[in-house]
Amino acid sequence: MSFVENCKKAILTGKIEAAEKLAHKAIEENIDVNVAIDAFSLAIRKAGDLFEEGEFFLPELMRSAEAMKAAMTIFKPVLMKGKEDRSLGKVVIGTIEGDIHDIGKTLVASLLSAEGFEVYDLGADVPISTFIDKAVEVDAQIICMSALLTTTMVGQKKLIDQLKEKKLRDKFKILIGGAPISKKWVEEIGADGSAENAVSAVKLARKVLGR
Amino acid sequence: MGSILIDQGLEPGTPPEKWNVSHPEKIQKIHLDYFNAGSDAVLTNTFGGSRMKLTAHKHGHSTEKYNQKAVELAREICPENCFIAGDIGPSGAFLPPVGTASVSNFEENFLEQAGYLADADIDFFFIETMVDLKEAEVAVKAVKSVSKIPIFASITFQKTKRGYFTIMGDTVPNCVKTLEKAGANVIGANCTISSDEMIDLIPLISQETILPVLAKPNAGKPQLEKGKTVYLTEPKPFAQDIEQIIKNGASVVGGCCGSNPEFIKEIAKQVKGE
Repeated sequence: MSFVENCKKAILTGKIEAAEKLAHKAIEENIDVNVAIDAFSLAIRKAGDLFEEGEFFLPELMRSAEAMKAAMTIFKPVLMKGKEDRSLGKVVIGTIEGDIHDIGKTLVASLLSAEGFEVYDLGADVPISTFIDKAVEVDAQIICMSALLTTTMVGQKKLIDQLKEKKLRDKFKILIGGAPISKKWVEEIGADGSAENAVSAVKLARKVLGR
Repeated sequence: MGSILIDQGLEPGTPPEKWNVSHPEKIQKIHLDYFNAGSDAVLTNTFGGSRMKLTAHKHGHSTEKYNQKAVELAREICPENCFIAGDIGPSGAFLPPVGTASVSNFEENFLEQAGYLADADIDFFFIETMVDLKEAEVAVKAVKSVSKIPIFASITFQKTKRGYFTIMGDTVPNCVKTLEKAGANVIGANCTISSDEMIDLIPLISQETILPVLAKPNAGKPQLEKGKTVYLTEPKPFAQDIEQIIKNGASVVGGCCGSNPEFIKEIAKQVKGE
């Protein structure tokens, strides 16, 4: 099997150690890191497709994302040395205050990170001020907010309202998620979008940044 | 219960179980409304009453009190010939690679809650909304080890392009066989899927077991359709679906998210002729 095929296989079978070995091999043998990263990226997107098709489930998708992250961690110093910035952007993500459901949010965070975004996962039950402070601190491009409950969805509106008050709204793209989220709600509160599932969320994140 | 509590003003971040202590009259009223509507059994307000789940809400220290009080409230108003089910929902944590919980975390968690519920005089256990078969299996075994009363175990499936699976990828036959082996007395499905999908799912469960099958589909759960939020089911068509679900093999039926006593009333009317 070729190097590229091995990279794809490591991601699709969710083998963290294999992905790490291949990343080291690429560096040691002076293989173009971009070739390796492209192979890994293709595979993680394939994993997303398989998830949408009902072939992959949460554990497979998480393992693939973890393998991808492990490889990217090894490539990072090389990319920084070569001043090649493959980071797609900075994302601050969390589940809103009062809501402790974080499985959907965690999956989106993992996939965003696997795709090449720099992700700051704040966890669940996150106060609005923490979202804003972190996004300002790291100079994020995107804030992702999850809410599973109809009662905590209002927190998404509050965050956007507070950003407006602080004259910070235009600094960030705001993506919202959670089972009860509708397109109408997105429009009503003036968010920049929402996606049907974690795989589409990653596509949307690229889209809103034009990447 | 959950949807109704939210309607009645349950604050975001407050675990519903707290109301067993702070708003006991409201919890009792809801139980009573269900019994009056025709329910044979009601579930205690303890879905999120395990220590792991309550701790996530910073209420772990009240685990014993919330569970005891929940049963007390239901027992006080339970009519003769009706039943109280001790409700147990998921811990909220996940095993690797999805989360960092361990099987022994689950064991400890469910042993504790099952102990409180058993001591507080329930008629049977209702383990529900389990999205991970392993967690469900651990819960059934834990309950079995502290009590001899019947265990109803219910899994949450989702419909994929390849049929019904849990989000972890467990198949229907595997779920049924595993729960049966763990010691469940009634096996079935609840939440996420609607009553019309439940019609198709139930035969897949009943063909795998001789145990009684339970079905508790969602009703009126908001769904995105072509960019619009639509509420799928009204009480009447829901009850018609339930009739078909019974014909397809279910012998224990009810409503999950989005349902209310009106739905039960319709079911009772159509099924029991009340």
